[in-house]
Amino acid sequence: MLDLKLNKSDTVGRQKEKEFDVVILGGGPAGLTTAIYSSRALLRTLIIEEGIIGGEAASTELIENYPGFPDGVPGMDLTDKMKEQAEKFRTEIVLSHTKSVNLKGGKKVIETDDGVFSAKTVVIATGSSPKNLNIPGEREFKGRGVSYCATCDAPFFKDKDIAVIGAGSSGVQEGLYLLKFVKSIKLVEFLPNMTAEKILQERIKKYNNVEFFLNHKLKSIDGKQMVEDITVEERVTGEEKILPASGVFIYVGLKPNTELFDKQLELDKYGFVVTDKDLRTSEEGVFAAGDVRAKALRQVATAVGDGAIAAFSAKEYIEEKSSTD
Amino acid sequence: MVVQKKHKVIVFSTPSCPWCRRVKEYLRQNQIMFKDVDVSRNRTAAMDMVRRTGQQGVPVVLIDNRPIVGFNKPMINKLLNIK
Repeated sequence: MLDLKLNKSDTVGRQKEKEFDVVILGGGPAGLTTAIYSSRALLRTLIIEEGIIGGEAASTELIENYPGFPDGVPGMDLTDKMKEQAEKFRTEIVLSHTKSVNLKGGKKVIETDDGVFSAKTVVIATGSSPKNLNIPGEREFKGRGVSYCATCDAPFFKDKDIAVIGAGSSGVQEGLYLLKFVKSIKLVEFLPNMTAEKILQERIKKYNNVEFFLNHKLKSIDGKQMVEDITVEERVTGEEKILPASGVFIYVGLKPNTELFDKQLELDKYGFVVTDKDLRTSEEGVFAAGDVRAKALRQVATAVGDGAIAAFSAKEYIEEKSSTD
Repeated sequence: MVVQKKHKVIVFSTPSCPWCRRVKEYLRQNQIMFKDVDVSRNRTAAMDMVRRTGQQGVPVVLIDNRPIVGFNKPMINKLLNIK
């Protein structure tokens, strides 16, 4: 079933240039929701996804704050259903790397490794990626102790002492998942307090094998072949501590995936796309939804809200254009 | 008649790892047969993977004993002659 769909996407890619009403860049919850709404408005809709359908949400072990799932829902299950729903209403999906975009004018052009697509409107839903710390050892030990994906790599750290960097919601949520595998966690947070949802804070505090290093800065990750320890600095006293850890899971925030459009759209000082309340960007016919947008709260619940609005705004734009042309 | 060289392909993965699934989808899409090893169920395999590849993260694709870390499409294409 899946193979057939992928082959179909491939066929789309091989043709010279295909025209769509709405091209959505990014297949996370924001992009998938945009697709559900725009396909149901009978707009010809294409999602171009560079990585995985479901985005960051798909690698979240359990999503507990998305309404409708009192027991929580595995991120991958939720985004699989969203994909199924979008495809049911005839959204097309291409898994390919986007090489360039031209967002100017009435016909937007998107060039991918698998063909060129044009669209009346573009919805930017490229999301954000986990931030790197850029400290010594981080890159060298990636895949050899350093990880950004607990759901992927947790089994390698069974009965080991590890560190989780970042006590925001992602860090604490994934820390709680890692506790099913590991012997102990050192939870390192740069700020004086945890910033995770209160319910998550309460939960992780109950574990006596979690040690908190609040107001500590991670300075380096060290070892020979594999990670063996980390060095942290107490930010008030400047005292350095070496903590044994054979794994380091890093959750220190997100950076927007906006390299493709930084010359074409207005971005805020962190690189997120600036929109108005109807999710219009600085370029006519281009909208933004989800984590890539400059906003206060980045959640699956806010991403799907964005997606619905972006699709509605795209539809209004197309209708207005066709009535004036 | 062209006889295609048969490659030995092993994918080390976990069920909850989205990039693992993407790798496997890609191989299937290109009609590449592979053996899937779930390292979350098979502790010995997990340790074997660490020993053979020096990696503590998935996905790792072993193509004719050569490890490829993550979904490295250009490298997979090269080793499997996917055009």
